[in-house]
Amino acid sequence: MSLRARIVLLALWLTALVALGAGVATHLRVGSDLRSFMPPPATPDQKLLMDAIGEGPGSRLLLIALSGAPPERLAALSRGLAAALRRDPHFEQVGNGAFDAGLLDGQLLPYRYLLSPTLDAQPLDAAYLRDQLEQRLDDLGSPAAALLKPLLPRDPTLETLKLAERWAPAKSPQLRDGVWFSPQGEALLVAQTRAPGFDPAAQGEAQTALRRAFAALPGAGGARLALSGPGYFTVEASTRTRAEADRIGLVSTLGFALMLFAAYRSLAVPALIALPLASGALAGLAALVLGFGAVHGITLAFGFTLLGVAQEYPIRVLSHRRAGATALASVRDLWPLLLTAIASACIAYLAFYASGVNGLEQLAVFTIVGLLVAGFATRYLLPRVLPARFRDAADTPGLDALWRRLRALPRPRWLPALLAAAVAAAIALAPGPFWQNDLAALTPLPQPLLARDAALRAALGAPDVRYLLVIEAADADGVLAASERLAPQLDALVARHALDAVELPSRYLPSVATQRARQARLPDRAALETALAEAQAELPYKPGLFAPFVADVEAARTLPPLTPARFARTPLGARLDAMLVPRGGGWLGLATLTGVHDAEALRAWAATTGGAARLLDLKAASESLVAAYRVRILRALAVAAALLVLTVTLALRGARRAWHVLAPMTLATFLVLAVLRACAVPLSLFHLVALILAAGLGLHYALFFERDVGDAAEQRRTLHATLVCVASAVLVFGMLGWSSLPVLRAIGVTVALGVGFHFCLSILMAPHARQD
Amino acid sequence: MLERPLVLTGELAWLGGDRLRRSVASPYREQSDIADDTLRVQRDGRPPREMPLARAPELKGLLLSFQALLSGDAAALAGAFELRADGDGAHWTLHLVPRDAALRRRVGAITVDGSAREPRCLSLDEADGDATVTLLGAAAEPLPPAHVTRAELAARCSGAAAR
Repeated sequence: MSLRARIVLLALWLTALVALGAGVATHLRVGSDLRSFMPPPATPDQKLLMDAIGEGPGSRLLLIALSGAPPERLAALSRGLAAALRRDPHFEQVGNGAFDAGLLDGQLLPYRYLLSPTLDAQPLDAAYLRDQLEQRLDDLGSPAAALLKPLLPRDPTLETLKLAERWAPAKSPQLRDGVWFSPQGEALLVAQTRAPGFDPAAQGEAQTALRRAFAALPGAGGARLALSGPGYFTVEASTRTRAEADRIGLVSTLGFALMLFAAYRSLAVPALIALPLASGALAGLAALVLGFGAVHGITLAFGFTLLGVAQEYPIRVLSHRRAGATALASVRDLWPLLLTAIASACIAYLAFYASGVNGLEQLAVFTIVGLLVAGFATRYLLPRVLPARFRDAADTPGLDALWRRLRALPRPRWLPALLAAAVAAAIALAPGPFWQNDLAALTPLPQPLLARDAALRAALGAPDVRYLLVIEAADADGVLAASERLAPQLDALVARHALDAVELPSRYLPSVATQRARQARLPDRAALETALAEAQAELPYKPGLFAPFVADVEAARTLPPLTPARFARTPLGARLDAMLVPRGGGWLGLATLTGVHDAEALRAWAATTGGAARLLDLKAASESLVAAYRVRILRALAVAAALLVLTVTLALRGARRAWHVLAPMTLATFLVLAVLRACAVPLSLFHLVALILAAGLGLHYALFFERDVGDAAEQRRTLHATLVCVASAVLVFGMLGWSSLPVLRAIGVTVALGVGFHFCLSILMAPHARQD
Repeated sequence: MLERPLVLTGELAWLGGDRLRRSVASPYREQSDIADDTLRVQRDGRPPREMPLARAPELKGLLLSFQALLSGDAAALAGAFELRADGDGAHWTLHLVPRDAALRRRVGAITVDGSAREPRCLSLDEADGDATVTLLGAAAEPLPPAHVTRAELAARCSGAAAR
C-alpha cells in the first residue's frame, strides 16, 4: 500500500474512533448503583438490602466536624452551614443541635395533642390546668420567661416543648453557643443526603455542594471542615482507587511504550498497537450503550481488565512480520491461530452472558464485542497502516541464544504431575478463609479516618450503619402500630445495655388508633373553657389570654388523624419517610439503632416478636450477596471451561493437540491459586476476574508454542512475540501489584503471577520442544 | 400577658466565671442556675428542667450583664446598657436600657433600686408590659402580700418603709 493510502486509512480509522468515542461519552451512563452489578437477591434480607442498599437512613448520614477557629465563630459557621444545607436539594435533613421551634408548622400545631403522649396518663381538666398555669406563672418570673413567653397563649401546657424533647436525638452532644460541640472543641453537624450512601458519584456531588456551601460562608477562612460517614468513605475509597490506578497506569503506559520501542525500534509502532485495543474498547462500550444504557463502574473495571487480552493481537502481528512478505501476508498466515484464540475466548465468555446477572451479562457483551472488534481491526486494518519498513523480530540479537537455552531446559515428564499434586495440596491445606466476601475490605480505609468516624459517631450518637431493625406490616399504619407495641420491649433492651438507643417510626408519628384514642380524651370547648376558668381563678393572667389554646384543642378534636403523607411536609417528615418503605404487598419500618453492644440479644428478642420485627445485618446480607455473585461467576466459569475445551479441540482437530494447549494453561491457573492460598490471601471477585484474564493470555502462549512451524526463524518470532506480551503484561500488572490498595493489588499480583506461570509452563510443556 | 407585676423575694448571686444563681424564696421556692450556656430551673417537688440558652440568644446578653452588675464590672455593663443613675447614697436608682436591639425587643428596661451599698429591688420591665420585681434583702421583709400595690412596691424599693 502506498504511503498516501496508508495515511488516508489511518485518518479514517482515527476519525471513526473519535466519533465513536464522542457518541459513547455522551450516551454511556456509568452507574455506581450496586444493584446493577449484583445478582438478583434471593433471601428477604438480600431483597431488603438491594431495595435499600445504601439508602438506609444510617448510611446516608454525613457526620461533619468544624474546627480551627474560636468556638463562637465555629458556632456561627455551624448555624450558617445548617441553613445553607437546608436550602440545598442534595440534603434531606440537617441537624446541628440548634433548637428548632418550627418542628410543626402553624397549620399542624393542633396535632400536638394527638402526637404527644402527655395526655395518655392525664386528662386535660381543671386540676391539671391549674397546676400547669401555676408553673407557667413561676416560669414567667424565672429567667426562662423569655424562652417560654411566645408559646404561652397557644400552648400553656408546653406540649410543643415536650414533642421537641421527644424528637430530639436520644443522645446528643454537649451544646455550646446553642450548637453541638465535641469534647475536642469541634462544632458538630449531621446531614442526611438524598443520595444513597454507597453511590460514589451522587455522594461526591452532595459533598462537593457541602464543601462549597461551607467555603461560601462568611468567616469560613481558616476554619476546617472534616467529613465522615459511609457516604464520605465511599467517595474516599473510589477517589483513592482511581487516583492510584491513574498514577500507576501513567507509569506503566510509559514503560509499555518504551518497551515496545525497544522491541520494534520504531516510534510509530507503540502508537499503532493501541489502535486495535482502543477500537475494541470503544466498540464494547458502544454495545453497552445500545444494549443496556447504564453500566456499573465495577463491571467496566472488570471489562477493561479482561480486554487486556487484546493487547496480544497487534503484538503477534508485529513480531511475526517476516522479510519479503507484506504485513498483510504475515497476518494471513497468523490469522487461523489468532482466530482460534479470539473465538475460544469469545465462546467462553458467552457463559457469562447466560449467568442471569445483569453485571455479568454486561461484562460478556463488552468483552466479546471488544475482543472481536480488536481482533478484526488487527486482521483487516492494522496491517494496512503499518509502516512498510520494519525489522524482522527473528533477527533480534540474543534471541537465538535464548531460544536455544530455553529448548535445552530439562523437561522431566513427571514435572506437571508433581506440580499438580503440590498445587492440590496447597489449595486444600493452606489455612485461612478461602474467599473474601467483604467488598469493603478491598478498599480499606486508613486507621485515622476510622478512628475519627468512631469518635464522631459516639459524640453525635449517630446510628449504627451495620444493623437495622425491620418492622413488617400490611400497611404504613400497621408498621406504626407495631412500632408502638414494640417500643416498651426495646426500651427494656436499652435499659439492659444491649444497645444505646433505638429510633422507631412511632417516635415521630403514632398510629391512627392511638391518635383517635387521644382525640377522644380531649374535652369539648365548653368543658375546656369551664376547666380553664376554674384553673385561672386568682391567677394574674389577662382574661382571654388562652383563647388560641382553646381553639387548638377544639380543632384537634375533629382533625383527621395525621398520616405519613401529611407528616412528610414537616421538617421531620423526611426522617419518617426514610423509615417507612413500601415493599411488595406490604410496608417496612426501618428503625435505626445506635450503639449496638449485643447484637445476639437483639436478634433473640426479634425472634420472639412473631415476625413483627427482624434484626437486619447489612454486612452479613451484602456478604451473602457477594457470595451468591461468586457462585454465579464460578458456575459461568465451569461452563466457559467446557466451551473452551470444545472450541480448542474442534479448532485444533484433535484432543491430543488440545490437551497440549489446555494442560499448561489449566495447571498454571491452579498454580496461581495455590500461591495465593499459600500466602493466605482470601480470594475476591477481583482475583477471579484476574485469573480469567491470565488464563486468556496463557491460552495464547500455549496455542503459539504448540504450533509446529519447523522454521527456526518463525520459532524465534513466536518467542519474540510471546516475550513482548509477557513482558508487557508483567510490567503493567506487576506495577498494579505494588499498589497499596488491595483491590488493585489483587488484580495486579494475580495477573502478573499468572502470566509468568503460563509462560513457563507453556514453554516447558510445549510438545515440539520436547521432541527435538 | 399579666394583669399585675410578679413580685418575688430572693437572692441573686454571681458564682464566678459565667455562673449565676438566682434563688427565689417566696411566693414559691425556686433555684435557677445558669452555667455552661444552660439554664437549669429547680423547683420544690419537681424534676429540674434544663433549657439551652441558645434558644433565646438575647437572653444570654442579659445574663452576662447581670454578671457584670454583680461582679462590679462597670465597663462591661456600660458596654451592654445605656446607664442612668438617680438619687443619692441613701437611696439610689440605676436604670439600664439594653443597647442590643434584639434584647430590647424583649426587655424594655431594668431598674435596680438600693440604699447605701445594698441593692433592694431588681425590676425587669418586659417590652410587652409585663414586669417582674424581685425584692432583695431587707426589702423582702416582711414578706409582701399576694397582691402588692405599686405604691407599696415603690416604698419597699426606695427603702421608705424601712425608714
